[in-house]
Amino acid sequence: MNDSDLDDLFAVAQRQPASVSSDLMARVMADAEAHLPRAAVVTRAPVARVSLWSSILTALGGAGALAGLSTATLAGVWIGFAQPTAVSSFTDVLWADDAIYETVDVLPAFDDFLTEG
Amino acid sequence: MPFDTASDAPDDALLVLYANGDGTAARELAARHLPRVLGYAARMLGGDRAEAEDVAQEAMLRLWRIAPEWRPGEAKVSTWLFRVVTNLCTDRMRGVKRRRAVGLDDAPEVEDGAKSAEAELVDSDRMKALNAALDTLPDRQRQAVVLRHIEGFSNPEIAEVMDIGVEAVESLTARGKRALAAALSGRRAELGYEEGS
Repeated sequence: MNDSDLDDLFAVAQRQPASVSSDLMARVMADAEAHLPRAAVVTRAPVARVSLWSSILTALGGAGALAGLSTATLAGVWIGFAQPTAVSSFTDVLWADDAIYETVDVLPAFDDFLTEG
Repeated sequence: MPFDTASDAPDDALLVLYANGDGTAARELAARHLPRVLGYAARMLGGDRAEAEDVAQEAMLRLWRIAPEWRPGEAKVSTWLFRVVTNLCTDRMRGVKRRRAVGLDDAPEVEDGAKSAEAELVDSDRMKALNAALDTLPDRQRQAVVLRHIEGFSNPEIAEVMDIGVEAVESLTARGKRALAAALSGRRAELGYEEGS
């Protein structure tokens, strides 16, 4: 078999494309439909509504800061009512109730001179 | 250049249309490429029609999937598809060595042409002989010969499909063609080729 004969055989093959069964075409088109990219729908992002409480919370520094603030407030109230010894001794130093005051009469009255003669 | 119909559009443009949600572009692409892809797969798989259909469907499925990422101008759709089919067939042939007993009668049916019954019979015999001879070639030689001489790809395109160099393609096609001629040498007269023609 020479090149010319082979070329003829190839030409016969080129003229005879495989026939695609309707079943195969249907399967391929079903795949195409299933994977058909849908056009993206652009929607406006919803504007977040900020409530009063959430804005206050944000201003304070978030939930963690709020928890710390609450704890400090309660501790302050408790210390105020309970007045623990350690706190009392400290405050006594600052504001002692039993301080002795001595008065010096830097300008004696005239009657004092009369008494002493 | 405006395109009057989808059939005028190049493959790249059809794929972009499909990626933008145009289902009719997929039908045109399938009509263009599915017969060739199926025929190639069948020849690679020794005429196993059912398996060739599975490979062809899988190759087209991969095309649909890659459509949104396809960059026009970087690769040809046909080259890309044949590369996928080549790899799929190689994987299947590697897994289970083809049963040579699969009859060539299982090869894809061919389109009916407006030819005489006698001419059709001759062509049918020649196709069976060609397919049988191709089946005797090593896989890579068979791929190269089919891509070059039946599918009409250029050597650089075949190099891309088979992921080898152009020189290797030339070598494979040359050796494959010689082996094919040798395999068919005893059937020349039977196939209607006269002495000295």
